[in-house]
This record gives sequence, structure tokens and C-alpha cells, in this order.
Amino acid sequence: MDIAPIIAALKRQKTAAALIAIEIALSCAIICNVLFLITHRLERSHVPSGVVEDELVYIRTAGIGASGGDDPMVRAREDRAALASIPGVKSATIINQIPFGHSSWNTGVKLAADQQQTSANVGAYYADEHMLDSFGVKLIAGRQFTSDEFLNFDDVLKGKSDPPSSMIITKTLARRLFGDENAIGKNIYLDDTKPTRVIGIVEHLIRPNFGSDLIDADSSMILPVRLSLGYGQFVLRTDPGNRDAVIAAARKKLKEVSPNRIVLDAKTLESARSDYFKQDRVMAGLLVAVVISLLIVTALGIVGLASFWVQRRRRQIGIRRALGATRRQILHYFQTENFLIVTVGIVIGMGAAYAISGWLMHQYELPRLPLYYLPVGAVALWLLGQLSVLAPALRAASVPPATATRTV
Amino acid sequence: MLRYYAWLAARSLKRNPALTALMVLAIGLGIGASITTLTVLHILSGDPIPEKSARLFYPQIDPRTINDYHPGEAPAEQVTYPDGMNLLQAKRADRQALMTGGGAVVLPDDAAIDPFSVDARYTTADFFAMFDAPFQYGSGWKAADDDAHARDVVITRSLNKKVFGGGNSVGKTLRLQSTDFRVVGVLDDWRPTPHFYDLNSARYSDYEEVFLPLSTAMELEFGRNGSMDCWDNTPDGDQLHSPNCSWLQFWVELDTPEKAKAYQAFLNNYSDEQRSQGRFPRPNNVRLPTVMQWLDDQKVVPTDVRLQVWLSFGFLAVCLVNTIGLMLAKFLRRNGEIAVRRAIGAPRREIFAQFLVEAGAVAGAVLGLLLALFGLWGVRQQAADYAELAHIDPTMLLMTLLLALATALLSGLLPAWRACQVTPALQLKSD
Amino acid sequence: MLKMTHLAKAFRTEVVETYALRDFSIHVRTGEFVAVTGPSGSGKTTFLNIAGLLETPTGGSYELDGEDVSRLGDDARSRIRNGKIGFIFQAFNLIPDLNIYDNVDVPLRYRKMSGAERKKRIGEALERVGLSARLRHYPAELSGGQQQRVAIARALAGSPKLLLADEPTGNLDSQMARAVMQLLEEIHRDGATIVMVTHDPELAARAQRNVHVIDGQVVDLGEAPTLRMNVAANA
Ligand SMILES: Nc1ncnc2c1ncn2[C@@H]1O[C@H](COP(=O)(O)OP(=O)(O)O)[C@@H](O)[C@H]1O
Ligand SMILES: [Mg+2]
Repeated sequence: MDIAPIIAALKRQKTAAALIAIEIALSCAIICNVLFLITHRLERSHVPSGVVEDELVYIRTAGIGASGGDDPMVRAREDRAALASIPGVKSATIINQIPFGHSSWNTGVKLAADQQQTSANVGAYYADEHMLDSFGVKLIAGRQFTSDEFLNFDDVLKGKSDPPSSMIITKTLARRLFGDENAIGKNIYLDDTKPTRVIGIVEHLIRPNFGSDLIDADSSMILPVRLSLGYGQFVLRTDPGNRDAVIAAARKKLKEVSPNRIVLDAKTLESARSDYFKQDRVMAGLLVAVVISLLIVTALGIVGLASFWVQRRRRQIGIRRALGATRRQILHYFQTENFLIVTVGIVIGMGAAYAISGWLMHQYELPRLPLYYLPVGAVALWLLGQLSVLAPALRAASVPPATATRTV
Repeated sequence: MLRYYAWLAARSLKRNPALTALMVLAIGLGIGASITTLTVLHILSGDPIPEKSARLFYPQIDPRTINDYHPGEAPAEQVTYPDGMNLLQAKRADRQALMTGGGAVVLPDDAAIDPFSVDARYTTADFFAMFDAPFQYGSGWKAADDDAHARDVVITRSLNKKVFGGGNSVGKTLRLQSTDFRVVGVLDDWRPTPHFYDLNSARYSDYEEVFLPLSTAMELEFGRNGSMDCWDNTPDGDQLHSPNCSWLQFWVELDTPEKAKAYQAFLNNYSDEQRSQGRFPRPNNVRLPTVMQWLDDQKVVPTDVRLQVWLSFGFLAVCLVNTIGLMLAKFLRRNGEIAVRRAIGAPRREIFAQFLVEAGAVAGAVLGLLLALFGLWGVRQQAADYAELAHIDPTMLLMTLLLALATALLSGLLPAWRACQVTPALQLKSD
Repeated sequence: MLKMTHLAKAFRTEVVETYALRDFSIHVRTGEFVAVTGPSGSGKTTFLNIAGLLETPTGGSYELDGEDVSRLGDDARSRIRNGKIGFIFQAFNLIPDLNIYDNVDVPLRYRKMSGAERKKRIGEALERVGLSARLRHYPAELSGGQQQRVAIARALAGSPKLLLADEPTGNLDSQMARAVMQLLEEIHRDGATIVMVTHDPELAARAQRNVHVIDGQVVDLGEAPTLRMNVAANA
């Protein structure tokens, strides 16, 4: 199809053609970015936690009042043991924080005692000897803690003991702090007294609070510190199918062994993840709705305008038909015309998409729109344009040639 | 004349019902989306305490170590217990309160109700007067009660209903953790939005239901909620009383700008004085933001909400362009009609008016309104903790109307202008 | 050139079926210049539409240039229209979005013709109607007579064997009408077959043969005697 006469005719219809092009450009710019936002959200909500999420339940408790002379340290260990003894529970631990949980413990770490600036802000898990098993975190290098390495949290808090002698860190944190060097055996300073030696590396362990930076999210360390009840929560590992039963049994058990505590929360870790990303999911859903609405509005706009165009040019089409144009040629005329206009729109839209992306980066700390979104958006809009123009173009093709002589 | 145009418009719109529906729907959808997101933004960025937000200040000082010091950065976001108590006792402001969030377990007398946990606020006495908290019954406690670690509690209307079945419960006993408290006041419904005085907890939901003296809560070692920033070791492990851990919010009321200025000077003096005692190693870094400045500083409005506003306006722009195109096509199809009208003697502006009227302002407006209501209903179904706040208020109603009118007129402007450019003729040469 | 026998054309609406043409037979020989007259609504335009393959007859047969075209498909008919037939309409029927040059170009565009060839033909056609100076004008900027001349140029550019004109002077004053008529006569002299519907007895008289249509039927095959010699000379 020769496009020169189409362009010549379009020049006389500048406004209408420009409007479609602008609409396409706007849609293209918005859709490219929104698609990227959607994938970004979904990616974030699928971030690996490093723990066996489908096997875990967590229980948060609160004391009703006077501990009745109980040593909270002892109480904690007894309660944990009681929970571990529930049939179906493979392992139980007391921990200060859980992935996707409400509380988060964070510490700035240094690589030298006299360093003024911290090297990284790190999520700190205070773990007992059951933690690695219970969480199912994957130790990919080094070793687990030995029993003599564990400290009591009260001592640490009150400064009665040195910092822990050893710690396990995530692969991400190891790379962040030590680059390609082997992190095992390296020293990390939690304060300016004594170093803590890295003895193991786990694949992943996400910290409870994180933003869009997924490297930062996976920057965690595990310290061999046993918690007392006031600071800890229980995490139980069981078979996925057993979780509800275990939750019920755990509630009952705790009532028996610790009557002066109440259970605040007893849930699966999966539900914690789901709650954590609820806002992202809602937003992603909203964004999908925006894309669909945009596509529909744009498509209807093209259909509407093209229909009017065809109606307005009925006589012209009739003349063309009278002068020997075949139906196919008329059809192609409108299809080509649409393709040209949409292409102009897409070209402008891509520029706009990139500009918007720059602005979003600046405003919302988002990564730059990957370039491959542009052709994806372009193809989508080309298809949309062709699909929308089909019906009007077919109607144009079916204009009888006698229209030329019959219409006054 | 306007009535004639309205009649013409109605006829013309009826002649192309599908197209009319498409235009109205597009405008309506765009406006609906925009108004919905704007409403949410409006609510979330609203002033939580409009009568006095300009007189309430959040003093910030910087007691942190020189480690990790970056010149120009904001001072600590909360105060330590020693600093908080010093500032409180200096009484340099018209009112002042030191506070934190917490949680406690309520043990109702009624055995039928299981013990349950509630969010709590531990604060000093000025809190209620300073923040204009309305009382249904009774009142807050006195400053003396703070000093005496009184077992006094103020509860909300909803908790009063839940535990005591409503009514005047002043003087009744509420058991928290294992201690009996005397109810001294019942708050009426009160929900400053956002939860400006403590941005650690959910900012738009989960408000505290019991208020008790900070001194009492600390003595009884009630659990606290919020964030704590420690920059140095705590010798005896008592982080709460440590000069190296900030975890409390301190608010002051200063009724005149002069007083605010004086208070700023006071904070500087205080920093100097502390440095002379070996604390505050950093250069003086004092700020005194008002409520709105503080909210702005803390970027309290979720970025998603702003993004949604931008998105909806982008969407509206597409709908607008869409409608302009359709109207243009529709108007120019009536070239013949226009030419004849002009030949008969209609001046340009009459043609312009005729087509502008047709721009369907009314239809768009009405539909926009409906869709806005519908959209808000949709937001209410959302997960976010601010969802329940969304409702339409008169300003927004007016805004919807104006936006709809503006959009419809805007979309009609270019087409109507083009229509009135048609040259008069009794007979068309061709087309 | 053109031979219709017992042709019928019925228009069906929901209520009635009207016959625009009934038992319509006519034979136009190659090189003839035929004028068709008749009262309004008698079926003249319908006849031209069918002759020009714009509409299909509902009965009878139609032979064009020795080929039975009454049962041809749409594409084939389009091809014939484009290659063999030129149209001139009462309402000129130029495409308002295109300038003069592009208007004349339209039928050529539908043939696979080289750009140079098209350019040459357009130039020649416009030269012939005396409008070479106005290539870049749009139809709305021309007078009726000029527009009709463009329409004729458009018809000529494809060098059609058969030229069909439906009241080509109907919208023109008599002076312009005569100029257009002169142009048609020139084209005829160059060998084209012309069928022209007209209301103007003066113009009809200048044709070789007059065909009168009443109520969808050919009633009178009066030949214009003065021009007979001419036909014979051409034949
Ligand atoms: N599309 C149509 N539908 C119904 N009737 C038609 C149609 N076109 C023409 N006719 C009828 O056919 C008859 C012949 O019309 P036409 O050939 O246009 O007459 P004219 O001799 O004036 O050119 C008229 O009675 C007209 O009403
Ligand atoms: Mg006619």
C-alpha cells in the first residue's frame, strides 16, 4: 500500500489525527510505566524470605501482669519446650523477630572498632540453638553455633557480657561487606569493644521491615543470643497440612503452662507474608484496572473516531470504489491510516514514557524503566489500533460504489 | 437561546446514543477516578487538629554520638527519657507532654469477657488539654498525679462501652495487666487523622484505647510500642532511662510566634548546657516544626496515594483527549448544518455557544459524581488502614462538580471552535 | 461496447419493491456518443450505475466490451471500473481532502503504475482540461466548472474506453456547460465511447444518438441525423 496519498489526506485532517495520536501517546506512556510498576510490585511481593514459609506458624504472647516470681528466662525455655512437645511440631524456637512481622531489630555494623561511620544497617535476629532448624534457613557455608557460644539477652542488654563471639550472616550481607572475599572468619563490630566472627553464611534471610531495595531487605545477621519472654515470640515448624491443628494445640498448651500470659497472635507465616504485601497487591490490582480501562477507553475512542471518519468519508469511499478501488484496498487504506497515526503516537509516547519514568525514579525511588517495556507497549498499542479500526474499516469497505452517484 | 441549544443538544446526543454514552462514560470514569484519589489524598494529608496545629510544636534536639554524623541531617526523631523529663520539667511552654505508645492487657471484671489486649498511650497530664481531646465524662489527671505515679486511667468511649456497657464510668476500676486503675475520664469520639502525635504506630488506624500516666506505666514496666534508637551502650541495660536511647515523643504548645522563637532559643541553650556536661557531642541541631511541618517532614502520606492521584489524572487526560476527538468528529460531521445556519445569519459565537452547550457538561457532571461515590465505595473495600476514613465531604462534592464541568467544557472547546470556523454556504460544494 | 438486454433493476425496501429499470435493452457501439434523456426518476442514473458496474442488475444480461459482466464479483468489477471506465458526476465528486493533482491521481493509484507514468498522465490530463496551473488547489477553492473539469481530467487520466457522465453540466451555468461539452466532444473525437445523461436538449442534440428513458424503459432510439456521418467515419 502506498502511504503517500494517505499522508496527503491526513494532512487535511490534522486535528482529528493529532488527537488520536496524542491519545495513543498518553496511553503508551502511562501503560509502559504502569506495566513496569505492576511487575515491580509483584516482584517485591515474591521476594524470597529464606525460611520454609509453608511450614511455619508464629505465636506472640503478652504477660497479663506480675510474673509471679518466675524468671522470664526460665519461663521462656519451659514454654518453648512445651510447644516443641506438641505432636506434629518438628522444631520450636524463641526469636526476637520474624520475616514479615511487626517488630524489627536493626543494628549498624562496622568492620573496625574505631570506624566512625557504620558500614551497613543490618537486621538482627537473636536466636537460640533451635532457630536454624525451626526456620529452615539454608546454611551454605561455615557451621552452626556451638552451645558454648550462646549468651543470655539480659546480660547483653545490661552490658554484663561482651558482644557475641560469633554470628551467621546472609550471602547478600557477606557480599555487601566483603565483596568477593570469603566472609567466613572475618570480623564484624557491633560496637567499639570486641569483634564478632562470621562463622556461617545462609542463602537468604529477609529482615522484617524493608522498602523497595531488595539487597537491603536481605541484609540480615543471626546472633547467638537467647531471649527472655518479654522480647521473644515463638516460631513452630510443622508439616504444611498440620499448621491449623498445631496453632490450636499451641493455644491450649500455652494456657496450661503459662496461665498469666495471653496469646496476641497465632498465625501461619504465609498469612504474615500475605498481610505484609496486601497493600502491594491492592495497588497492583488497581494498576491492572488502570491499564485495562486505558486500553478500553483508547480502543473505544479509536472505534468511535474511525466510525465517524468512515461515515464522513462515505461519499469519498464511494468515489474511490467507483474509480476502481477494491474492497480490500479500502480496508487497507483505513488500516494503514490507523497504523500511521498509532505509530506517530507510539513514537511520542515512548519519549513521554521515558520522561515519566525519570520523574517516577526521582519521586518514588523506583528503578529506571527497562527499555524492553517500550517495544512491548508499542506492539500492544499497534494491535489495539488495528483491532479497533477493523470494524469501521470493514464498514468502509462495504460502502457501495453507487454512493458516489446517489448521495447529494 | 440557551434552551434552544439545550434542545438541539439533547436531539443531537439522542441521535448518537452509543457515542454519547461513550463520551459521558469516558469523562465520568476519568473524573470518578480523579476525585476518588483526590479525596483519599485530601483526607490523608488533612490537618489532624486544624484549630491549633499552628500552635503545637514538636521540639527536636540531637543528643547522638559523633559516629555516623552527617552535617545537615535531621536531628533525632524522638527524645531520650532524661531529655524529655528535663524539657518537661523546665515548663518553658504553655503546655507540654511527654509520651509513648504501649500495649496492655485488660482483665474485665465480667468473667464472660476474655482478657484482651489494647493499645495504650503513656503520657503526662497536659496531653488532653493540649490536643483538645474531648471528654464525655470526667477529665484527665493532674500534673501531681504524674509525680505520684497515680493509678489513673482515661479510656475511650468504645472501650467504656465494651467493658462497662457505656454510661458514666468515672470512679470505676479497670484492671490492666495485674494492677487496678481508677477511671478518671471517658473520652468522646476522638480520632485526629493522621495519628500525628506518634507516627510510629499505624498512622491512620488502630488508635489507643487507654491513656495512663507515663510515670505509672514505667514503674509497672508496661510494654511499650514504637521505635527506639540507641547510639551507645547502656551501662546497666536500662534502655528506658538511658541518655543514649531515644524513644519518647515530646510535644509543646506555644501560643504566640514570640514564644516559639523563645522556645527555639531555649532548646539551643539546653543543647549547650548538656554539651558542657559532656553530652551532645554534635553541633547544636535544633528544630521546632509545627504539626503540619512535622507531618510533611515525615512524609506521612503514603506515596502510593500520590501515585494514584497522578495516575488518575493521566487517565483523565486520556479520557479528555478521547472525548475531544469524538466531539470534533461529531461536530464536523454537521458541516452542512453549520454552513446553512451561518448562511441564515447565525454569528460565530452563537454556533460556538450551541456546540459548547452540547459538550454535555451536565451529563458528565452527574455521572462523575455517581462514579466518585462508587469509587469511594471501592476504596473502602481496600486493605489499607486508611480505607475506613474515605468518605465524600462537601468540598469534594463541589470539586467533583467543577471538575466535571471543566472537563466537559474543555473537551468541547476545540471542537466548538472548529465548528464555528465553518464558512457559511447554502449549498456545499462537495464532501 | 456496451450491450444490455432485458435488464431489470429492482430496489427493495421493507414495504415496496420499485423497478428502476424494467426490460431495459440498449446497445452502444464502440466510439459512439450517446445522450440519455428522460424525466427525473425515470431510471437514467440507475442505468449509468449499472453500465459503470457500480450496481448490479437484478435481471437480464449486460455485456461490456464483449464480456458478460452481469455476474462478475466485486473485485473483478472494481478492476474493470478502474481500467475501462471513466466517470463524470453531476456533483463533481472530487475528494475534498485531496488537492487537484492528488484527485486526478486517485484512479491511477489503484493501478500498479510507476510514479513517472502517473505523473505524466496527470500532467497531460490536467493540461487537457486547462488546469495545469492549479495543481495544488483544493476542490473547495475552485469554481463548479473548474471542479467538473478536474473530474473530467480524473476520468481521462486512466484513458478509459467508456466514459459515463451523469448530468455533467447539471450544476453549471450554460457557458460553463458548453465548455464542458466541448471537452467531451474532443475526448470523443479521440476515440472514447461516451454515454451522457442530460436534461439539456441543446446538449443532447450535439450527441450522435439520443436515448429516451421513461419509467425504466428505453422508449425511443432517435438518432441525431446530423452527426451520423461522423459515426460512420469513426466506425
Ligand atoms: N437506493 C434506492 N432505493 C430505492 N429506490 C431507488 C434507489 N435509487 C433509485 N431509486 C428509485 O429508482 C428510480 C430511478 O432512479 P434514478 O435512476 O436515480 O432516476 P433518474 O432518472 O432521475 O436518475 C426512482 O424512482 C428512484 O426513486
Ligand atoms: Mg439522476
